[in-house]
Amino acid sequence: MSHDAAYWLRQIRSLHLTQRTRIMNVCGGHERSITMAGLRSVLPSTIELIPGPGCPVCVCPEEDVYQAIQLALQENIILVAFGDMLRVPVNVPKGEAHTLEQARAAGADIRPIASPQEAIALAHAVPDKHVVFFAAGFETTMAPVAAMVAAGMPENLSLLLSGRLTWPAVAMLLASDTPGFHGLVAPGHVSTVMGAQEWEFVPQHYHIPTAVAGFTAESLLAAFYSILRQLESGKVFLDNCYGTVVSNTGNHRAQEILQDVFSVTDANWRGVGIIPASGFTLQAAYRAHDARVLFAHTVDHTQRKRAGAMPPGCDCARVVLGRIYPNACRLYGRACTPRNPVGPCMVSEEGACRIWWSGGLRAPTAPTVSA
Amino acid sequence: MCLGIPMQITDINGYNARCEAKGVRREVNLFLMQDAALAPGDFVLVHVGYAIQKISEVEARSSWELFDEVLRVQEQGGYA
Ligand code: SF4
Repeated sequence: MSHDAAYWLRQIRSLHLTQRTRIMNVCGGHERSITMAGLRSVLPSTIELIPGPGCPVCVCPEEDVYQAIQLALQENIILVAFGDMLRVPVNVPKGEAHTLEQARAAGADIRPIASPQEAIALAHAVPDKHVVFFAAGFETTMAPVAAMVAAGMPENLSLLLSGRLTWPAVAMLLASDTPGFHGLVAPGHVSTVMGAQEWEFVPQHYHIPTAVAGFTAESLLAAFYSILRQLESGKVFLDNCYGTVVSNTGNHRAQEILQDVFSVTDANWRGVGIIPASGFTLQAAYRAHDARVLFAHTVDHTQRKRAGAMPPGCDCARVVLGRIYPNACRLYGRACTPRNPVGPCMVSEEGACRIWWSGGLRAPTAPTVSA
Repeated sequence: MCLGIPMQITDINGYNARCEAKGVRREVNLFLMQDAALAPGDFVLVHVGYAIQKISEVEARSSWELFDEVLRVQEQGGYA
């Protein structure tokens, strides 16, 4: 029953599209597939595909990265984090470690991990040290982190949690005067865990056509077609173009574990500000494993210049919100490349700047997304 | 980072499973899959070492193809 990419392209071309249509995705994996498959170049020129808030590392508060660096520099602490995090820069005076990677070069014990299980194994292996797991991620990643907590953590392991929820960022954009998009591709694996229904509010309250997509060109094109068809017909709804994997209600057990372990609070997104009900924090029952409680007084941000901000000249916050394309940043491909990244969007595998550069989009300067 | 990779279960021991994808073997935690009946031979979507969803063999194979493709483009395009 499934159609190939050529079929969906024909379907899209058969629509009567005259107006500019901006379709936003909120998942680094989607953006990667779109860029690698070159989908922008095969779609009618009226259609713009916009990378939106799909990169948890990109919006991880600068203060959290700074705190992670300071903790890692302590004698008895080993800091572990998913690999992407190690090169995210903070704003410190020249000469101080401005990434975890630099702190490691200066002697801090910092180790990249690929799974929460590695944090557990390490904590067991070094009972006389304290292990801090600095965890950023969206719901897909926070469910395994919650599972790790629920299954029982060694005493000498704590969490510096910077987990975020995806949908509140979309809700914030929609509630603003300038959402900047006419259709939404809802994320694939966030929805696997949380269920497609989490996105129901977008068509219902904001009349924006929405489709959950997988990561193949076929699935993405099917979602684009669904969105464009909805716009043409005026009948707006939540479509699921990834039904082989995503159910309407998601992985119930994972959601229960998330609820048992974390509570949801207002949270800061780097360069963006506070988004209501968009962050995970550990429940009070797990205070003994909460690095924010255990090490509450180790850092003072008030004395730091540019605490919380993006690095000077970096337009990552507007990239994350879909306000500009990556190559509209003045530093893109000039001062900022994956080898020498200036901002987090060029560091993270899910950052739009990194994805565009990896996909061979080399020309700085480009169309801006008009709001 | 939000991407799950399909893997096939070869062996289950409590919440721990041994999984395989295209010759790569990994220990995978099944804590989030407590409500799913899983057996060796089944396919799951794995994210940061945890299975998050059971999937069909057809779905697993189509995703593997996709990752091959993405990896190839990245190798060619490279980031210099
Ligand atoms: S190109 Fe670099 S400096 Fe510009 S927005 Fe992207 S990450 Fe920031």
